[in-house]
Order: sequence, then structure tokens, then C-alpha cells
Amino acid sequence: MSKKTDALRRFSGWVNGETAGHAAVHREAARIEHKKLLPELDEQQRIRLFSWQYKLVALVVCLTVVAVLLYTVFHLPLFGDPENPAVNEVVQRYVEDGLEETGAVNMVAGMILDYRAFDTFGESSVLFLAVTSVMMLLLRDAKNIVRDEDVQEEHERIIERQTSDIILQKVTSLVMPCIMLFGAYVVLNGHISPGGGFSGGAVMGAGLILLGASFGIDKVRTFFTMKTFRRITSTALLCYAASKAYSFFTGANGLETGIPLGTPGAIFSSGLILVLDICVGMVVACTMYGFYVLFSRGEI
Amino acid sequence: MLREIIGGCMIALGVAVFVTAVAGVYRFKYVLNRMHAASLGDTLGMLLVLGGLIVISGFTALSVKLLAIIVFSWLAGPVMSHLIARAEVMTHAHIEDECEVIERVDHI
Amino acid sequence: MSIIFELLLILALIICAIAALGSRRLLVTVVIFMAYSLIMSIIWALLQSPDLAITEAAVGAGVTGILFFMTLKKIHALKGTKDE
Repeated sequence: MSKKTDALRRFSGWVNGETAGHAAVHREAARIEHKKLLPELDEQQRIRLFSWQYKLVALVVCLTVVAVLLYTVFHLPLFGDPENPAVNEVVQRYVEDGLEETGAVNMVAGMILDYRAFDTFGESSVLFLAVTSVMMLLLRDAKNIVRDEDVQEEHERIIERQTSDIILQKVTSLVMPCIMLFGAYVVLNGHISPGGGFSGGAVMGAGLILLGASFGIDKVRTFFTMKTFRRITSTALLCYAASKAYSFFTGANGLETGIPLGTPGAIFSSGLILVLDICVGMVVACTMYGFYVLFSRGEI
Repeated sequence: MLREIIGGCMIALGVAVFVTAVAGVYRFKYVLNRMHAASLGDTLGMLLVLGGLIVISGFTALSVKLLAIIVFSWLAGPVMSHLIARAEVMTHAHIEDECEVIERVDHI
Repeated sequence: MSIIFELLLILALIICAIAALGSRRLLVTVVIFMAYSLIMSIIWALLQSPDLAITEAAVGAGVTGILFFMTLKKIHALKGTKDE
């Protein structure tokens, strides 16, 4: 055994919290367990499956990717260099006229929600698609019910009720309003300060997940049901599409909306960006919570 | 000037607390002991470091934000430690081997 | 001074990435992955993109970790819990 693999093994032992003596025992146990996982394969096939060729190919692929990435990184220009190829007339237009044209102090928000609103629309739709496909796989409705799972769900629900923690619940009810308020603040101030729809929506979704984890999902269901979820996500996406559709059809030339841009820095400024931010935030918050509930219970 | 000295001393003390916490995490072997050491840095170390920053910056909007961070971490850290410890006690089958058990309340 | 801090963070990032591969228990891998996301969010903040830092902290360290734990629970890969 070479010195290098020994060092690697010791490192992985350190990661796994093993001391040197116990490592062999653990490895033996893992090996036996692995055998149990593949009972239908006999010894010969198993050896062939995990032979040295497999490791060699993995190593070669890994090293190639590392080499390509390092080669690229060494040829990248410096961060923030004015001579960079990315600094061209597009960036100049964004930096010089962005505030005037979009009314957003936060230039990033002006870019992603005005000049490139179509991209952001696609991103929100991707989130919606992701939650739809998760729903297809995991939603437990009339056609997707297994008897064993039902029993297990019931068991888990009993455990959840018995192990509910009073300390966690009290602190949650203290912290929860602050989290939601912060999320709403980040969403509503997307065009003024760093943040925006996605960040604020993620914060609000995390707050909902905290509520569901501490009080139980049944409690959240009193105000957030499947119907609410469906209505909020589809309304937000449709609202987004409707408010920017003219721009998508005319090649994003930015026709006059008729909405005054307002003074930069005020909350009611920058036209449609505030509305779009709210839409994206709603979709993201609902999607985050929807993922959690679908993964844990299989129904919203 | 005095403010900077006091703040710097507080930050140094906080860093010392953090070092103690990290040493404790490596020194102890069992989960509950390790958590006992780690939560020290979470609460006292955080308070000292952020308090030092508050003293340095004086009464501004920044110090109010730092105060909010202290409040949040003092709310979240102990609850987190409590939940991890609870999960450990509930799932460890032979906890008597690790520490002294007065009475074990089994919920399930 | 700032470059030393950045180099330390990148070193920690690489150690986390290798440690996530080296760990045998999936639970440990997920915890290391969350630590990776947290370091990444600090790096985003240093690269002057605070909005990405907020998102990374909320999604990478928070929601993704929870989803991974849920999946591990679903496939009964959490050792030492009552599920098993």
C-alpha cells in the first residue's frame, strides 16, 4: 500500500470519526452490509462490478475535469479588471442608464427583472416545473396509496404528536414573525437594496418550514392548503407573464408602460419591478414549503 | 480611543472563548460533552465578539443590527442544542454507558 | 489581509468537498455539504454579491439540507434512529 492511499484513508477515517484501531472493524462491517445490499449477485459478479477498471475510469474522468477547469481558470482575466472582455457596451448601458431607465437603485434587480425579465420568468417556471414533477412522484392521492406507507404515516404522525417540543414551539412563535417580516422586507426592497424575489422567497419558505417542523404540518394546513398553494403559484406566474408579455413579444425593447418610475430609492418606484419581485417571491416561498411537505408527508 | 481598547479587549476575549470551544470539541469524545463545549462559543463567544463590535461602532444603525444578531443567535443556539441533545438521548439505546442517568423519560 | 482570509476560505471549501466524498455515512455527507454551502455564502459576500449570499445561505445551507434529510429518512438511510 502506497503512502498516498494511506494518508487518504486516514483522512476519510478522520471524517468518519474513526480512530485507527476501529477503522478496520468499521470497514469490515460496511463490507458485510454491502454484501447484504447485493444478495442476488454472486461473488464473481460483484468483483467484476467493482474492479480496478472502475476506479481507474473514475480517476481518469476526475483528473480530466480538474485539468480542464484549472486550465480555464488560469486563462481567466482578473476579477474586476476594466480590460475584461465582459466590460463592453452592454455593461456600460446598464451601469450608466440603468437607474434612469428602470428606476431601480439595485442594479442587479433592474437587470434581472427589467432588461432580462424573460430569463427570470423561465427560472420561476423551472421552479414550478420542479415542484410539479415532485408532486407527480410523491403526491399521495387516490391513485397513489400503498397500504404499508399508510401504516407508517400514521405511526409517524403519532410520534410527531408525542415528541412535540414546548421549547421549540415557544421560540418558534417568537422568531417566526421576525423571519416572515424579514422575508417580506427583502422581497419588497428588492429594487432598493440587495435581495429580491428569490432571496426573500427562500427566507419566507424557510420560515414556513420551521413552522411546519415545530408545530406539525396539520397546524400549517389550517391556513396553507393544496388549494392555496395552487392558487398562489399559478396566480403569481400568470401575473408575471401578463405584466411582462408586451415586452416578450416586442423583443424586450421596453415599451412605455404608463406607470411612472417614481423617485429612485422610494418603495413605490421602478414601475413593474416591485410587482415582479412579489410574484417571484410568492412562487419561491410556496415551492420551498411544497418541497418540504411533499418530501415529508406526500400531501400539502 | 477608550472605546476601541474596550472593544478590542472584548473581541479578544470572545476569540479566546471560541478557541476554548473548539478545543473542547476535539477534547471530548461523547456527543453531549462536545455539545456542552460547542454551545459555549455559540452564546458567550458570540456575545463578546459582537458586543465588542457594538462598543467600537457606538450607537448607530449598525450596532442595532448587531444587537439583533445577538438576540437571534441567543434564541436559536440554545434551542438547537436542546433539540440535538434530545434527539441523542431519545435515540441512544445505551446512554447509561456514556453518562449518569437519573431518570429516563421515554416518550415513545 | 483579505487575500489570506479568502485563501483560508477556499482551502476550507476544498477540504469540505473532499471530506464529503470521503465520509461513509450519508448523514455526515449532508452535514458537510451544508458546511460547504455556508462557506460558499461567505465567499459570495466577499465577492460583493450579497443577494447571492442570502440565497445561498437560505437555500444551500437550509432548505437543501432539510430536503436531503427528508430523503434519507424516506429511504431509511439514517442510522441509529427509530425508523430503522
